[in-house]
Amino acid sequence: MSAYAFYLATIIVYGAVDAMACMALNVEFGFAGISNFGFIIFQSVGAYTAAVLSMPPAATSNGGFQRYVLGWNLPWPLPWIGAALAGGLIALPFVFLVGKRLRGDFAAVGLLVSAVLLNLLVKNYVPFLNGDAGISIVPAPFQSLWNPQALAYQFAYGAVAVVLTILVYFLLRRITESPYGRSLRAMRDNDIVADSLGKDLRQQRATTLVLGGMVAALSGAILVGFISLWAPGAWGYAETIVLFAAIIVGGAGNHKGAVLGAILVPLGFEEITRFLPPVGNPTLVPALEWVAIGLLIIVFLWFRPLGILPERRRILSGQPRVKSRAPAEAPEDGGATIRLGNLDELDMRELLRIGEQPGDDHVVLSVEGLTKSFNGVEVVSDVSFEVRHGRVTGLIGPNGAGKSTVLAMLAGTLSSTSGRIIYEGRDITKMPSHRRAQAGLVRTFQLASEFKKLTVLENLVSAIPRQSGDSFWGSVRGRRHWGVEDRANIARASELLEGFGLSQYADAYAGGLSGGQRRLVEIMRALLAEPKVLLLDEPMAGIHPNLAHRIGDQLTRMAHAGVTIVMVEHELAMMDAYCDPVIVLAEGRVLAEGTMAELRAKSEVVEAYLVG
Amino acid sequence: MSSLGFGLITAAVLAIATVGFTMQFAVTNVLNLAYGSIMINSAFVSYYLNIHGLNAWVSLVGGVGTGAVASWALNRFIFTPFQRRNLAPITLVIVALGVDLCGTFGLQAIVGGGYVSFHQSQGQEYHFLGMFLSGLQLVIIGICAVILGLVHWMLKFTRLGKAMRATSANASLARNSGVKTRWVISATWLISGALCGLAGTVFAMNTGVFEATSAQLYIVLLLAAMFLGGPGEPYGAMLGALTIGVATEVSAAYLSPQYKEVVAFLVLLGMLTFRPYGIFGSEKTI
Repeated sequence: MSAYAFYLATIIVYGAVDAMACMALNVEFGFAGISNFGFIIFQSVGAYTAAVLSMPPAATSNGGFQRYVLGWNLPWPLPWIGAALAGGLIALPFVFLVGKRLRGDFAAVGLLVSAVLLNLLVKNYVPFLNGDAGISIVPAPFQSLWNPQALAYQFAYGAVAVVLTILVYFLLRRITESPYGRSLRAMRDNDIVADSLGKDLRQQRATTLVLGGMVAALSGAILVGFISLWAPGAWGYAETIVLFAAIIVGGAGNHKGAVLGAILVPLGFEEITRFLPPVGNPTLVPALEWVAIGLLIIVFLWFRPLGILPERRRILSGQPRVKSRAPAEAPEDGGATIRLGNLDELDMRELLRIGEQPGDDHVVLSVEGLTKSFNGVEVVSDVSFEVRHGRVTGLIGPNGAGKSTVLAMLAGTLSSTSGRIIYEGRDITKMPSHRRAQAGLVRTFQLASEFKKLTVLENLVSAIPRQSGDSFWGSVRGRRHWGVEDRANIARASELLEGFGLSQYADAYAGGLSGGQRRLVEIMRALLAEPKVLLLDEPMAGIHPNLAHRIGDQLTRMAHAGVTIVMVEHELAMMDAYCDPVIVLAEGRVLAEGTMAELRAKSEVVEAYLVG
Repeated sequence: MSSLGFGLITAAVLAIATVGFTMQFAVTNVLNLAYGSIMINSAFVSYYLNIHGLNAWVSLVGGVGTGAVASWALNRFIFTPFQRRNLAPITLVIVALGVDLCGTFGLQAIVGGGYVSFHQSQGQEYHFLGMFLSGLQLVIIGICAVILGLVHWMLKFTRLGKAMRATSANASLARNSGVKTRWVISATWLISGALCGLAGTVFAMNTGVFEATSAQLYIVLLLAAMFLGGPGEPYGAMLGALTIGVATEVSAAYLSPQYKEVVAFLVLLGMLTFRPYGIFGSEKTI
């Protein structure tokens, strides 16, 4: 009987450790979109740190049969705290890999390789952590007072592990269900767009890696205190794949899914195979276990890619029972059937939070000698122009003229090869794009750029600047800190949504909308980012002409209210109706500048269009 | 100097493997992390042909064929269906890792965990310029040089090679210009798979003894060589492989064989951190 009881205690500890690790990886992968293929490093750092902090100095212990660093003999809970800190610290160097705009799969490969490398080093350099043999006889907490082999001790240990896991669950949920969590998911869905709306990707990714690393390390500390040994064989890079399998099976982006996955995959597999009779060659069962993990990943990604418990949709509109129209019903007609709502009645200045209105048409943004080359080929050469306050400035030109490249350099999405960009009297040429967005220089994209797995309302609210819950510490302080403000933000976004006549889609995933609707969502989102200068990249592309004209009228209203607009377009009709002045680009150079009437008189402009 | 000899042979095998790997990345934009498992499976097929009495050359062809067919099937039945769903590149990498586990450990389940070796003679020993090379190693270097020459000829002078380069530069543009991209992609996976099978087999022959998980670390060398030369660049891959191959063997001689791969790791991490598009590449090539 007691054999089963000991077994049960072991299962409880393992389950808590796996659940904690899976939740941490899920915050990184499922919420922030960081594919941390080196996750096992963090758990392992926690286990080793807790071990060497709690063990006596290597020279004096157990006849010196093992070699390791530190050996500080610290009492519980200091080794666990130290482990968590070490897990957070070790995350910092990896920020270089994931912090910048490196393709997600390249960064993932870098992390995977780091895991293999560190394992190799620890295995071969014995004086550090006793090499391949690993560290053994790690003291259990309070072992001088209470026999760790006693059943009561083991259950108490399990209880502590479970309580800590529950605390971690609530902490992580508090963070992910806050405005900060919304920003993390926005980054996951489209990092370049999140960046252009003022989200600091490096800071968000660093925070996530540190947080995930600390939780992972804590799980490692709990494990090593219980099993009392830790060796390179326990943390091969493939162990990370097991945890990924758990999250894919359980449901990425759902904390309960991560816990379920932990119970089904790492815990389930280890325990099932324990009861298999030894068959075939000695490697057969472990080998088949790995095959099963591989199959599980492939089969789930194909048949149930969202996992058993998919990420749930966040209903912000306050009308949880109103059924959102199924995305499939969204008509693909360029938004011809969209009727703008009461937009004309809304106060643009109030909605866009435009402060004092200078009234004059001073130069807001000026560009001097802007040049961009790829592989030595100049796609934008020596472009200079000025943008005046409260006007709609058009950038026009044939395909490949460099319009979008200029816009991207203004917003900081692309860096310029040479030249200067002056905004409100400041040189912003080297300023990163999220800081430009925070300063009021907000862009939209030519291609669909909605955050697919955020609802329409979440897409809009995520863009609102200076939210008190949109930082790590703000989110930790909880709903009491940011709840009232968030409700006001949701109301503001809902008002705009109603103005654009899309209220019924408030709680639908933005990824399921039609092309025209997504375009509107993107424009609304940019407006909520409180732009002083709005940079629009072909906002009317793919939109029905009727709707395009109604949007154009609104742009004019915004300009009158004090927003400066720069618009890339290649429809001459739109330019005619709404833009003054218009800058013509051809082959990366400014060809002409003036009102449309003036431009029509110039033969080289007409020629550029006819030829181009 | 003898480490340079080892370096040359490592580099030759690595060049074959990396060119195949980078061609797959170029035309399908997938980091095929299951590459190592196909290498070792090809080696085992070749090994079984060899111990059942076939001579080394016929066995080698068997290994090459296995690599070609397995890689083609992997793309046709796993990667292509997943790609049609417009998933993030990372999903395909995770799928590839799943395939790698199935391939490597499925093999281990069948053949067991023991080490095996080919029936072959190392041949006479030759030395020149202070390097010692066995007859077998000279043959391997020769094969690799010939195959790399063929790859160069194919990419530069055949319609297929031009179509491959066009598909890799811009698949939809190539399709609109009349390139049958589906066919080109299939052909690429067959050819790159053949290179994978060849690399796996000669890797196993050169190692002497090997087992099901022997190629697991090889993917690191591959990635290091590929990122050094720029992802998707076959000529960069050859150059990267030469550098990594020689660097690992020389460092093994001067430091310690246990840290042989460390150089490759550091190169790979450095490239990913500072120049993810290769020494000579730039953003636009991706």
